[in-house]
Amino acid sequence: MLARTNHFKLALFLVAVLIPFDILSKPLGGNFQLTDSNKQDFSLDSLKGNVVLMFFGYTTCPDICPTELSKLSIILNSLGSKSKHVKGLFVSLDPNRDRPEKLKEYVKFFHREIIALTGKESEVEKVANMYGVSYSKNIRPDGNYFLDHSANLYVLDQEGKISAVAPYGFPISHVIQLIEQMN
Amino acid sequence: MTSFRTLVLGFFILYPLLGVSAPIGYGKLTYQLPEPGSYDLPSLGLAADGEVLTGDGESIRLHSAFDKEFTVLAFIYSSCNDEDGCPLSSYVLYQLKNEIDRNQELEKKLKLISLSFDPVFDTPEMIKLYENGFKKKGEAKNHWDFLTTRNERKLEPILKAYGQDVQRIETSDKKVSVFSHILRVYLIDKEKNIRNIYNVDFLHKDMILNDVRNLIESGNSKRQLAIKDKSYLEPGDYRSGYENYSFKTRSKSVEQRVGNQIDLMIHAKKKHLGYPSLNVPTKNQLTKDKVHLGRTLFFDRRLSLNDTFSCAMCHIPEQGFTSNEMATAVGFEGRSVKRNAPTLLNVGFAKKFFHDGREDSLENQIWGPLLAKNEMANPSIGFVINKLKNIDKYKVLFKEAFGDAEITMLRVSDSLASYQRTLIAGSSRFDRWYFDNSEDALSDSEKEGFKIFTGKAGCSSCHVIGTSDALFTDESYRNTGLGYSRAMQVEDDVVPVQVAPGITVNVDKSIVDQVSEDMEVDLGRYEVTQDPNDRWFYKTPSLRNIQLTYPYMHDGSLGTLEEVIDFYDNGGIANPLLDPLIKPLGLTKEEKQQLVDFLESLTGDDVSLVVADAFSAPIGDPK
Repeated sequence: MLARTNHFKLALFLVAVLIPFDILSKPLGGNFQLTDSNKQDFSLDSLKGNVVLMFFGYTTCPDICPTELSKLSIILNSLGSKSKHVKGLFVSLDPNRDRPEKLKEYVKFFHREIIALTGKESEVEKVANMYGVSYSKNIRPDGNYFLDHSANLYVLDQEGKISAVAPYGFPISHVIQLIEQMN
Repeated sequence: MTSFRTLVLGFFILYPLLGVSAPIGYGKLTYQLPEPGSYDLPSLGLAADGEVLTGDGESIRLHSAFDKEFTVLAFIYSSCNDEDGCPLSSYVLYQLKNEIDRNQELEKKLKLISLSFDPVFDTPEMIKLYENGFKKKGEAKNHWDFLTTRNERKLEPILKAYGQDVQRIETSDKKVSVFSHILRVYLIDKEKNIRNIYNVDFLHKDMILNDVRNLIESGNSKRQLAIKDKSYLEPGDYRSGYENYSFKTRSKSVEQRVGNQIDLMIHAKKKHLGYPSLNVPTKNQLTKDKVHLGRTLFFDRRLSLNDTFSCAMCHIPEQGFTSNEMATAVGFEGRSVKRNAPTLLNVGFAKKFFHDGREDSLENQIWGPLLAKNEMANPSIGFVINKLKNIDKYKVLFKEAFGDAEITMLRVSDSLASYQRTLIAGSSRFDRWYFDNSEDALSDSEKEGFKIFTGKAGCSSCHVIGTSDALFTDESYRNTGLGYSRAMQVEDDVVPVQVAPGITVNVDKSIVDQVSEDMEVDLGRYEVTQDPNDRWFYKTPSLRNIQLTYPYMHDGSLGTLEEVIDFYDNGGIANPLLDPLIKPLGLTKEEKQQLVDFLESLTGDDVSLVVADAFSAPIGDPK
């Protein structure tokens, strides 16, 4: 009996350990489906032919998301006519609070052309895992919560493949340079 | 994370609003950096090695990534969002990368490395994508490497070795831990020594580039040409005028001092105007390697019982090779020594050593402080020898100096004596005036002082000036009454204690006694001869460089030259054995000043040379 319990524990342990490795061992990136802020189905493939700048965050984020989104907006503005073929994507990691209406309101504040995406919690989690995004809830005593999440900016090429990742903190000029190299 | 200060672009605006300033790395330096080549960046220890992964998943040693002359190493992780943390280091490294792109010399010399804290999410694939952002088309080699580790187990020892304390804070859903760490960026040289560590207050690309240029310049043999402020080569403070409010210190920041090695053999062997020839025993001729070994031993703290106390800690180079702040020396673990540490400048010309003259060779003298319980406190000669035998560096140095690596008592004393013989501090204005007929070398006041010194005051009866050279000592023993007064406690009930320039407080002697150890009885030369007529006799010291070697007298009881002159003007302190030459002099105030002026002309220009050389010597420490 004891042995069987131990086997069971071992199996559970292996599942717990291997599942994340399994996810992470696949190549990062790839196509996905989510819902945009107009409640329309969205597929990454629909942006083929464009350079895509993708960022993960949430609307109640107090610091990095607004910083990163306003950077994104500056990048789009400064690219001028080239920005037609550059799209900004903001993927919410907090789909329960970030419903399409709220997202629409939020991203409008930064730039018209930024597409904001949400979905079911499981859908969002799947995308985050595909792109190697770490995030977790940090619940405060009052019941509110923050998300701790990685703040990398993903640069996807015209085929939808990750071309480069800019860690948080890199200057705007770096990202613009990256985009210019891809055109 | 919960802070609002990083909000949008307003982060630059908000920072001042909140009363905190943005880290300097994001802006412009508000101060001027020192000239490259003008400052020292001593090694802060060896940069640790460890197993890391490249963006291609290849396992390499961290050290193998330090493949240029200098490496800037920073730690990052992807979800770090404290503006004072990883984003700042990434920003500064990015700025450096742009500088490297623009400068071919830097490209050959400077490597940037970002090593991730987070092996789970910063996989080789992810860091490859970071790196992709910096790869120029068709360029095979990056000057910025992103590295990660296989797992926590591989990462942990690296973080520990770099002193990067990382705390993992589990979030409420227990999913990912948040990292809390202190930003540190490391500058590492090609020998893998850490030469600087930057924190948020100092992390700026200009600071790093200046340090890199400084290290490049310093490696240059012509580095002394880069020393702009020569005053940092000069000897240290002197106390003239300390009794006045207007006193200004001449002391120099030890941090800013620049070492400048000289060829001590050439220095020792050249003819020094006004000096006799050096006393070098035939059995211990000066050699370059012996001097080098002696110099290394002199600054090695391991020559004491508990590895804390070197010769140089009482014979401090920039304090005239004595200790300006101690009347009587303080040795091992704060133990009191009953006499003042004598200067080692020109010690090679002396015939007797210690204030009581108990040794007559430097070779024998050195074992005194090494074995004294209240100085370096080594329990035995063998203890010192055995300790040196266990230090690899000394095997090499003894072999170079003596032909084989054997370490013996005689070899230790021969080499220490050899170094001390080279500490010649000649080339004073007095020498140029007196021995080289250079009329302008002394001022009128100084020349008047010389007349009083040799005439009315009679100082030169004991502090002898010869016809071809002058050591300002007769190498004999005299009783001035100072030793007598200390032994007989004929001091006043109230002791004047000067607490700052121009401020003296009278303190009751009983209070002074409470804070100091009872001084050991000191009978002077009697302790060597056992002749009652030698009680409180002490050796006549040389007066060369006397400006730099305060406090004065065998017990350091007089702080300034003015006090010394007053002491002799009053005829010393009466006692049955007082030297008959010491009697009231009746000097005027002007004459006293002229005497001081004359004494200050005895400072040799060469003090700067041996002090700067001392600053270039390695400091032997247990680590």
